[in-house]
Amino acid sequence: MKKRYLYLLLLPGLLFLTIFMIIPILLTIGTTFFTENGFSIQGYLDFFKDRYFIEILLTTLRVSLFTTIICILLGFPAAYYISKLKQRKKAIMLLLTIFPLLTSPVVRSFSWMVIIGKNGVVNKMLMGMGLIEQPLDILYTPTAIIIGLVHLFLPLIIVTLVGVMENIETDLLKAAESLGASRLAVFSKVIIPLSVPGLVIGSILVFVGSFTAYTTPALLGGKQRVISTFLYQNAITLNEWQVASIVATIMIAVTVLIISIMNGLAKKLNPKG
Amino acid sequence: MALFTLQDISVAYNKQNILKDFNLEIEKGKLVSLLGPSGCGKTTTLRLIAGFLQANEGKFLFKEKDYTKVPVNKRNFGFVFQNYALFPHLSIFDNIAFGLRLRKNSKSEIEKKVMNVLEIVNLKGFEKRYPQELSGGQKQRVAIARALVIEPDILLFDEPLSNLDANLRVNMRVEIRRIQQELGITTVYVSHDQEECFSISDQVAIMNKGIIEQLSDPATIYKYPQTKFVADFIGFKNFIEFDKRTDHEDKIELNKSGYSFVLHKDAQMTNASGKIGAIRPDDLLIREKEDMGAVLENSLSGRVKVSTYLGRSYQYVVETPIGDFTVNKEMTESYRTGQEIILEIPRNQMVLVD
Repeated sequence: MKKRYLYLLLLPGLLFLTIFMIIPILLTIGTTFFTENGFSIQGYLDFFKDRYFIEILLTTLRVSLFTTIICILLGFPAAYYISKLKQRKKAIMLLLTIFPLLTSPVVRSFSWMVIIGKNGVVNKMLMGMGLIEQPLDILYTPTAIIIGLVHLFLPLIIVTLVGVMENIETDLLKAAESLGASRLAVFSKVIIPLSVPGLVIGSILVFVGSFTAYTTPALLGGKQRVISTFLYQNAITLNEWQVASIVATIMIAVTVLIISIMNGLAKKLNPKG
Repeated sequence: MALFTLQDISVAYNKQNILKDFNLEIEKGKLVSLLGPSGCGKTTTLRLIAGFLQANEGKFLFKEKDYTKVPVNKRNFGFVFQNYALFPHLSIFDNIAFGLRLRKNSKSEIEKKVMNVLEIVNLKGFEKRYPQELSGGQKQRVAIARALVIEPDILLFDEPLSNLDANLRVNMRVEIRRIQQELGITTVYVSHDQEECFSISDQVAIMNKGIIEQLSDPATIYKYPQTKFVADFIGFKNFIEFDKRTDHEDKIELNKSGYSFVLHKDAQMTNASGKIGAIRPDDLLIREKEDMGAVLENSLSGRVKVSTYLGRSYQYVVETPIGDFTVNKEMTESYRTGQEIILEIPRNQMVLVD
């Protein structure tokens, strides 16, 4: 087959995505700018004046940011450990890492309810040890959402980082040591910079995933709204499709913005990575 | 006086000894190479000196201080790796400045030292490039510069040229020797390439199975190998295990299954107890049977068993009553296979080894 006809292979997938994704998204974005009186950005202006909405947006960003940071802090050392293992052990550890992904987020959220609820395991244990007198309010707070999301996304960042760290030659670490670097300096000056590509991809996956997650915040957040549950409420419960479309457009814009910020940051940290 | 000493070192992996009761002393300013087949322990020795691995037993003394437990990053030894090990995320300047920044040198000092060392390795103008943009030889020069710039007490090379092509290898080894002598820096150099080691070293240690078989200057090793392994390694392909050895003042008489040979004796260099004779294929002489008038000393009658054309010369395997010999001879026309010939061992060409 001639090479220039190879692109035809892309056609079925492209067609599917265009009809079922690109056109609907463009339509959704389009409707937000047109009211009965023609083109207008009034819908957006109303939104950014609404303190309730701004608070939801900020909470969602905060939850996503904390989830990403905690995933990095927990995932980085674990990924480094796994990347140093021999082939067999590494395969087993990676399997264990992605094991949580095999359960549905609904089931996982329910099990977190049992653990962190008012009469849950955590509160019972802390009260039993006499550390607290009243049960802690964890469930139905942003903290609960963060816990659930970390549980959901930690495997993703670990797997991404292991992929990158495996390719760091051990001789590089030895070279750094022979030049006078302590363990800490080797970590901060060689291992971390060389892991930046994995960190960026992993962080984007976690951040965007947390920003758009629905099931976990719906179940663990209680009355605490995040942007996706707010969107759902407007569309399904209140039947406000115009509002829902605007929320969706804002979500897309924020996601694109975050990805480009992170890519820019990565370029600064690792110019030739 | 020795700059550093390895004392009764033993290293074992999985209960297998890599080094056993290993001893080595190296003087300041010398380039000593460790030469041997793979698995002989040369790289292990180098990593031990660098501190990348710990000995199970024994001591490492540096300037008479016990360095056995000193960690790698406190030793101030430069290490040059086979695969260069340049930091891919740093420019050439930053790669070289890596060690200086850890030593908290000032910005202007770093600038001065990096530029100076770039000049030494002939890479001026490359400081803004990244490792991926350089050729193999340039990368290795950056690696050398990075190790040199910290003014190390010892410079360690682990097969630095084996990833380069043949022409570049010769240029680089001349370069390495030049830099080493210019700076007078004590250097340990590991390689499995005999020519490479012989051409750049003050001293060569030939290693086998975790011990040093011989440590001398290249010329001495080339001319007077002390053991059968060393002789074999540097190209003495023919060995005769003599039954009897009788020493006289300036010669040695040797006997093998009724044949006797005479050997020139050098009081200083000749092995005092060895009974194995070693001789290079190039040093044996072949004559046509008809040429011989009187019986010559050190001669055997033999028959050409195999004849191989090597381009500049022919190589023969000659069958004699005391075993087969390999002989190289430059000539235009070969002896026939099966031809009867006379094989002579010149009295000053054979050496005795243990």
